Amino acid sequence: MAYNKDLETREVQATWDVTTYQYKLDGRGAKVLADGMKEKTIRGIKCPQCGRVYVPGPTYCRVCYIDIDDVVDCSDEGVVMSYCIEMADVRGNPMDEHRVSAMIKFDGADTWFIGTVHGIDPMDVKIGMKVKAIWKDVTEGNLGDIQRFEPV
Amino acid sequence: MIMSNVAIAGVGYTPVFVSKRKDVNIAEMISESVATALENTGLTPDDIDAVTFGNMQTFEGLNMPHLWSAEHILAVDKPTIRISTGGTTGMSTLQAAYYYVASGLYDIVMAVSWEKQSEGDSQVGLAGIVMPEAMVMVQHGLDLFGGGGLSAMGGGSTGAASFQAMSYLHHSGADPEHIDKMAALERSNAALNPYAHLRKKTSVEDIQATPFIAWPLRFGHTCPTSDGATTCIVMSEEKVRKMTDGNVAWITGLGSATSDPSTANFLEGQLTDPAEQEPARIASAKAYKMAGIKDPSRELDMAEMYNGFAHQSLMWLEKLGCCKEGEAHKLLDAGALNIDGEIPTNASGGVFSTNAIGASAMNRPAECALQIMGKIEGGHKIPKKIRKAVSHGWGGMFQYVTVMVLADEPMKS
Amino acid sequence: MQRKVAVVAQKQINSADVGMPRERMLYELVKSLYEEVGISRDDIDTFVLCSNDFNAGHTISNVFEDCPVGAYMKDETKVEADGVWAATYALARILSGLYETALVVGNSQGGSVMRPYLMMDYQLAPVYDRQLGLLNELSAAGLQAHAFLAKKGLTPDTLDEIAARNLADAAKNPDAFNGKAGASAADVAATDMLYEPLRKGHCYPFTDGACALLIASEEKAKKLTDRPAWIRGVGDSIDTYYPERDVVDVKSVKLAGERAAAMAGIGLKDLDLVELSAKFAHQEPILLEGLGLPADGGAASVSPSGGAFGAYAFNAAGLVRIAECFKQLTGSAGDTQVEGAGYALAHGQDGLCMQHNAVMIMSSEEG
Ligand SMILES: [Zn+2]
Repeated sequence: MAYNKDLETREVQATWDVTTYQYKLDGRGAKVLADGMKEKTIRGIKCPQCGRVYVPGPTYCRVCYIDIDDVVDCSDEGVVMSYCIEMADVRGNPMDEHRVSAMIKFDGADTWFIGTVHGIDPMDVKIGMKVKAIWKDVTEGNLGDIQRFEPV
Repeated sequence: MIMSNVAIAGVGYTPVFVSKRKDVNIAEMISESVATALENTGLTPDDIDAVTFGNMQTFEGLNMPHLWSAEHILAVDKPTIRISTGGTTGMSTLQAAYYYVASGLYDIVMAVSWEKQSEGDSQVGLAGIVMPEAMVMVQHGLDLFGGGGLSAMGGGSTGAASFQAMSYLHHSGADPEHIDKMAALERSNAALNPYAHLRKKTSVEDIQATPFIAWPLRFGHTCPTSDGATTCIVMSEEKVRKMTDGNVAWITGLGSATSDPSTANFLEGQLTDPAEQEPARIASAKAYKMAGIKDPSRELDMAEMYNGFAHQSLMWLEKLGCCKEGEAHKLLDAGALNIDGEIPTNASGGVFSTNAIGASAMNRPAECALQIMGKIEGGHKIPKKIRKAVSHGWGGMFQYVTVMVLADEPMKS
Repeated sequence: MQRKVAVVAQKQINSADVGMPRERMLYELVKSLYEEVGISRDDIDTFVLCSNDFNAGHTISNVFEDCPVGAYMKDETKVEADGVWAATYALARILSGLYETALVVGNSQGGSVMRPYLMMDYQLAPVYDRQLGLLNELSAAGLQAHAFLAKKGLTPDTLDEIAARNLADAAKNPDAFNGKAGASAADVAATDMLYEPLRKGHCYPFTDGACALLIASEEKAKKLTDRPAWIRGVGDSIDTYYPERDVVDVKSVKLAGERAAAMAGIGLKDLDLVELSAKFAHQEPILLEGLGLPADGGAASVSPSGGAFGAYAFNAAGLVRIAECFKQLTGSAGDTQVEGAGYALAHGQDGLCMQHNAVMIMSSEEG
C-alpha cells in the first residue's frame, strides 16, 4: 500500500445531471421583485414581527419562523456592504476589463444584493459607500431592468 | 452533562494527497486510510463496532458510495451511517462517531471521510448547490455570468469568498498583504507536511506574483482540489484504558451551527454578511463551555481551521475567539501564528494546501489529535507540548460551521 | 441505554405531488409540529436532517432545508440515508447527555421532482454495474423476488396477496396516499407487469413526502406530552454489495433485529407490530423471516399502516415507519389501531435488494 505514480487505473464515463429533475421552487419573492422593477422600484417582503425586510422575500421569516407576505418598497439607493474587483471570469480566464461587483444593501432592506458598480475607479470603491441603481429608460419588469449601479 | 469521555485513538491518512491518484480507484483509496488507521492503533477489523462514513457525493456523481465500498471500509455486518454536510462533512462524520461512542451505543467507532475530486467535476458539484435557484432568477431576467446591473455569479470564480475577504479586511483593519503573508506561511507549513498536497516553500513574493481573480483575492489565495482519504478511530474511555497505551487525544468539546445560505441573488435574500459567520461563535462557544475553556485566547495551544481561501485563517481565529476581533493580522505580524509561535495556526498547511473536500474537515481535528499525541510525521510538528487544540470545519453555502476541541486529558467527571 | 429517550410527536406529509417546493413543505410540516406540541424552534437543541443530494437534486441538500425547519443559528447536522438512521443518530445525540430535544426531519420529492429508479441507478458501483446498464432497482428487485419465490416454492399470487393487504390497510391510514379500500389480489394481478414477476402493484409508490419526529430525553418528554413512545433498542447492519450475498436470507436484517432486541431486552416474538419498509411485495416475507417472525407476523401485526405501499418518500420513509409505531403505541392510530400495542418495531432500508437495514424498537411503557 503505497502511492504508485506509474500505475494507471482505467477510466470510465458516467454522468450526474441536474436537468433530470423537475424542480419546484418558490418564485413569489423573485416575481414581486421583478414586477416592481417595471415601476423602477425595489420590492421586498417585510416580517411584521421583527421588521426585517427580505429582498427577494421568502414566504416565512427565518428568525421569527412565521409566514410573511407584506410587500414593501425599498429605496433604489443603497450601501456597499462589501465588494470585489473581478479580474477573471467564472472559468478563471483573465478579463480584459476589470469590473466592480458589490454586495449592496438597499435602504430599507435587511438583505444584500450583488450588483455591478460603474462610474468610479475600482480602487476608489469603499465599503459603506452610497450607490444608486441606474435603470434602463424603458423597463420591462425583469431583473435586467437595472443597468448598473453608480456612486450617489 | 457529559456522560462519558471519548477520544481519538488513531488517525490514518492515504499515503499522499495529490491532484489525481491514477494508481487506485475510490474504494481502494479509502481502504488505504482505513488500513493505516488500524495499523496505527494496533486494532483489528473485529474491534470496530460501527462505521461512520462521509463525502460529498455529487462531486464524483456517485450516490451512496458506502454501499459498494462496504468491504473496503470494513463495514460488512456492522452498523454503518452515512453523513454529509458539505465542506464540513469530514468533521460531521467524526462528530457522529463521537456521539455513537458518547451515547454508550458503541465503544469503538471508525470515522471514514474522503474525496477523489479527480474523478468528478468540482465545478458541477459546486454549481449544484444553487443551480435551480439561479435558474429561476435567470427566468426573471438575471444575468447569470455578470455584466448586467444585477449579476448572479458576482465575485467571479471565487464567488462570495471575495466579498467575504473584503468585508473581513474592512472590519478587521488587516491589509491585503496580510492575506499574502498568511498564504505564504501556510504554503510553507505544507511544505513540511508529507500529507499535504501543495508542498512548496513559498514566499510572500511568490504569492504576490500570482494573478488576481477578484481583488482582494489572488490565484495564490485559493485551495487545490485533491484526492485523498482520512480515517479516525474513536474510542470510549474504558476501551482507551484497556486497549491503548493511553496516548490519545480526548474530544472535550464540540458543536455545530448554521445560519442562512449565501444566496445573494438567488431567490431569497440573505440576512448575514459572509464575513459575519455567527455560527462559528455559536458552535465554538458551546464547544468551549463543554471543554471548560473560559478564555480560548489564552488556553488554546494551536488551531486547525477550514480555509478554502487564505484570508479565512485570520477570520476564523477571531470568530473562534482565539484572539480579539481585528487582532489576527497583528498576531501574524508578530509571528504568533508560526509553527513555533504562541498559537500555531494551520501548521499542516490547512485546507488551503490540501483539499480532498469530504476529508478536509476531518483532517483538522486529526491534525490536532496527532499534535497532541506527538505523532506528527514531518517538520510541521509543533515544538511545544499541545494540551488543548481547536479544530474547525466550514461548509454549506457559506453558512455552516462545526467545531471540535481536543485535549491531552479527558474531562473529569 | 444510559438515558431514557422517547418520541414525543410526529408529523408527516405524503403525496404523489405535494404541490409545494421542498422548503415550503418542510416549513409547513415542522411548523404544524411545533404548534401541536406548543413549542417554538428555540426549544429544539439539535436538528438532524435526513436527505440526499441526489434525491434533492442539490449538492449539500441541507443548505436550503435548515431554515425551513427552524434551524437558523441553531445546531444542525445531516444524515444521508433512510430516516431510521437519522432517528438513531438523534437518539445517540440525546443519549450522549449533550442534548435534551432533537428534531429529526427527512424528505424527498420522488413523486414530482426526481425519479426514484434513476436515483437508485446512481447507487450502482460506478465502474461495472453502472456502465453495464443491466441492473436497476426494478431488475434487482425482480431477481430477488424470483429467488424468494423459487426458494419457498411459491407463485406470484403470494405477492398479489401481500400487496393487496397493504394497499387495503393504507386506505385506512389518513397519512398514506396510495391506499385502495378493499383492494384484492385480483386488483393487484391486473396491474402492469414491470419486471417479471413484479407488477406495478407490487412496488412502492413514487412519493413526495416529509416526516418530522420530535425526540426527547425522559425529563423533557414527560414535560412535553403525557403519551410518549419510548425508544428501547436500535440496530443496523450492512451486507456486501456484491452478488455473492444471499438476497433471500438477508443477514443484515437478522443482525439488525438481534441487536435492537438485545438492547431492548425483549425477544422479537414479543412485538405487537412491525412497520416494515418493504419497497416490493416479496420483501415483506423476507424481512419477517429475517426478524425471526412467521410469514403472517404471528402475534405481531405486519405494517398496519399499509407500510411502504401507502407512501414511500426516500429519506422520510423510515421516519414514517417510526411515526406509525408512535401512533400505534400512543393509541392514536385511528382505524389502523392495533389494540393494546405495547412493543413495535420500525424498519428502514437502503441499497439494492435491501443491502443495508436498520430497525428501532419502541414501547408504550417506559421500561
Ligand atoms: Zn421576523
